[in-house]
Amino acid sequence: MNRSSKIFRYVSRRLIQGIPIILAIVVLNFFLLNLAEGDAVDVLAGEAGSATPEYMEEMRKKFGLDKPLPVQLAVYLKNVIQLDLGYSFRHDMQVTELIIDRFWPTLILMVSTILLAVGFGILLGLFAAINLNTWKDSVVSVFALITYATPLFWVGLMMIILFSIKNDWFPTSGMENSAMFYEGFERVKDIAHHLVLPTITLSLFYLALYTRMMRASMLEQYGQDYVITARAKGVTERRITFVHVLRNALLPVVTMAGVQVGALIGGSVIVESVFAWPGLGMLAFESLFARDLNLLLGIFLLSSALVVAVNLVVDVIYCFLDPRIEVN
Amino acid sequence: MKLNRYVKAALTAAAVTMVGSLGHAQQAGGSLVFLVQPEPPTMAGYVSTSGPIGLLGPKIYDGLFDYDNDGKMVPMLAESVDVSADGKTVTFKLRKGVTWHDGEAFTSEDVQFTIMDVLKKVHPRGPNSFKEVSSIDTPDDHTAIFNLDNPAPYMLRALSSYESPMVPKHHLEGQDIKAAKLANSPIGTGPFKFVEWKKGQYIRLDKNENYWKDGRPYLDRIVGRFVPDASTRAAAMEKGEVLYAAYNAVSNVEAVRLNKEKDDISITTNGYSMINPMALIEFNTKEGPFTDAAVRRAISTAIDRQYMIDTIFFGYGKPATSALSSNFGATGLHAAMPNYPANGDIAAANKILDDAGYAKDANGVRMKAMFDLIPYGEDWKRGGQYIQQVLGEIGIDVELRYEDVPTWLKRIYHNYDFEMNLNYFYQLSDPVLGVHRHYGTNMIRQGTHFVNSSRYSNPELDALLSAGMTEPNAEKRAAVYLDIQKILANDMPVVNLFELEFLTVYNTKLKGAYDSAMGAYASFGDAYLE
Repeated sequence: MNRSSKIFRYVSRRLIQGIPIILAIVVLNFFLLNLAEGDAVDVLAGEAGSATPEYMEEMRKKFGLDKPLPVQLAVYLKNVIQLDLGYSFRHDMQVTELIIDRFWPTLILMVSTILLAVGFGILLGLFAAINLNTWKDSVVSVFALITYATPLFWVGLMMIILFSIKNDWFPTSGMENSAMFYEGFERVKDIAHHLVLPTITLSLFYLALYTRMMRASMLEQYGQDYVITARAKGVTERRITFVHVLRNALLPVVTMAGVQVGALIGGSVIVESVFAWPGLGMLAFESLFARDLNLLLGIFLLSSALVVAVNLVVDVIYCFLDPRIEVN
Repeated sequence: MKLNRYVKAALTAAAVTMVGSLGHAQQAGGSLVFLVQPEPPTMAGYVSTSGPIGLLGPKIYDGLFDYDNDGKMVPMLAESVDVSADGKTVTFKLRKGVTWHDGEAFTSEDVQFTIMDVLKKVHPRGPNSFKEVSSIDTPDDHTAIFNLDNPAPYMLRALSSYESPMVPKHHLEGQDIKAAKLANSPIGTGPFKFVEWKKGQYIRLDKNENYWKDGRPYLDRIVGRFVPDASTRAAAMEKGEVLYAAYNAVSNVEAVRLNKEKDDISITTNGYSMINPMALIEFNTKEGPFTDAAVRRAISTAIDRQYMIDTIFFGYGKPATSALSSNFGATGLHAAMPNYPANGDIAAANKILDDAGYAKDANGVRMKAMFDLIPYGEDWKRGGQYIQQVLGEIGIDVELRYEDVPTWLKRIYHNYDFEMNLNYFYQLSDPVLGVHRHYGTNMIRQGTHFVNSSRYSNPELDALLSAGMTEPNAEKRAAVYLDIQKILANDMPVVNLFELEFLTVYNTKLKGAYDSAMGAYASFGDAYLE
């Protein structure tokens, strides 16, 4: 069997294995979420000021909240299998529609953050490892430590104060200018302009992580036998670093990036909140307090599917980075 | 052609000079971006009175009347109202030539449908506001005659577009009103038309070119932006990205700072007199440590209301002096009562408890209690901490509990699983609309939020409440409410703390948005940018 068909078989098997995992997550989430006191009707009625018990009973009936939990779960699972994520009664909209609407902003923020964090993390880690135990190494390490230890919301607010209020370089918040409503290319430019501060803020945290990991990983690889062999062969230090060590040192970093894609959806809540970025994290956060369980379950389903998918992609990337790793 | 253009230009110039010389500088055009916090669940102001809906709904829907800062009625969809001598027939003359945003004509049938089939049935407060309305006659397209079972003087205070928006019959008739499409794509008669709702970002409304008021609205567009973080909201205000923020969307501490530091940012406490928010403590009068009115009176006596206002709410608020807000003084209903000292009196409070036979133990503790706090932010936590301290001084050892909104609502209004609860209520534009629900026996309704959770029941008070509801004579009505306030100052099922003064922060570029008593819940048809 050749390599590509092997990979194809591997991928399809992993995808099929992923389905029960995702369903198990759905069931678990369903019961966990239902442990919370109060339901969507309580919140809606509470916000409305007052509502009669009859009205609330009627709403529960309409939402299907009057049925016993196992029945609600069965109904939900049946719908999920038919790829119907249900209805958000709070927003009066299909859950799928709501999620897709908020998925793009999340994706834009996520991809730009990962690129920035992983890219710069690798460069800085590499730089520190090459200049081991010099002042350059120390500067990088201290920078990584500080950005890792600083609370995200604080960094975000400082960014706003420095680059938006003191210097009028970037807008404070939002995804586009809501007084102008640009269209076409102007809109793309506008969104990119709004994207800068949240991306930098969110990247700083992850950047530190990747820098430290890359540095440690490089140092570990330098100590391996194959490096000594290469040196003995007379390979230049430059070639050893960039061809042999770098490639191997990337493996753990890529693994980490894969794991963090899932965390980024939830972990960006703070950044989304500070910069009013309309992503999934905020949506999940708000739906929790509104007890909008259908919507919340939908978001969880999407993020678990995403984690399964990204991990699969990472595994496939592995065997390109390191030909010794075979899929089977 | 060319000449024509010059003539036009000359005329325009003349008109501009004239307008200028009259002292009016209203400029048409421009976008108003303002803060809406939090994002509303829907735009159905006829089903929910939720705050953020109130910020946007009245721009899209009109009411029959608006109210100016002196409380006077300002004609909107109704040009005039006439109440018969016995108070049981109320005739509205409706404005002619008004159209819905979809081009259909607005008629008396819409009014009839809105009141009878929508507000009376599905609105949270409508069943109270229009309780006495038994039918509405529509002799012609521009006359609506309300037939009442009993006089309802308070009804005329509930006709604003926030409290009672007029909705299009042809978009709701024959449907489940709570599930109708109109909730997310509103169609009204108001100065702005709904365009787009980007979830998590903004709601965009554009100018209604066919608005009934000539030359209005001035603004081309109104955008309500959602910014979840309080510090970012202040930053957006500071930078001028948003021009208006009401209901403390920008916190008091930031508002006061911006007002001081920035020349173009101002603050006002106007625009909340029809809402009348009152901070208070609800007590469980059926079980637990607070079944004795003496203990509740002692708590009311001990708390330093002015101190709470000054230290926690930056001086914005007025100490409560009775069960009714002092804003009802305008209609003669408010009277100051004993047991509401502005500065608190620990010695007097201790004496009340001593006299009632609650002895202190070796640690100086008379009783222990759990104190629930309304989960609406830091100010309320701090308020709870202050009260905890004061009650410690009179021997009541309280523990604080702060939960999330659904859990808290369920605990207080469904399970009655609480002892005392820090909260605030809107007393609205008349006691019948906002205060009765807190005290009447008929308002002990398990599962309904923001009603009589104390489960206080007093037949004497109930009789007075009914009398206050239907008494058309202002003097007699004032006498009834005097008795009501006396009973409540003695029994204290609820201890009123202070009248909250919400802050509106605005950029001085925005003009003409401050003349309605509804404040941020007004139409903004007259608002313009300089």
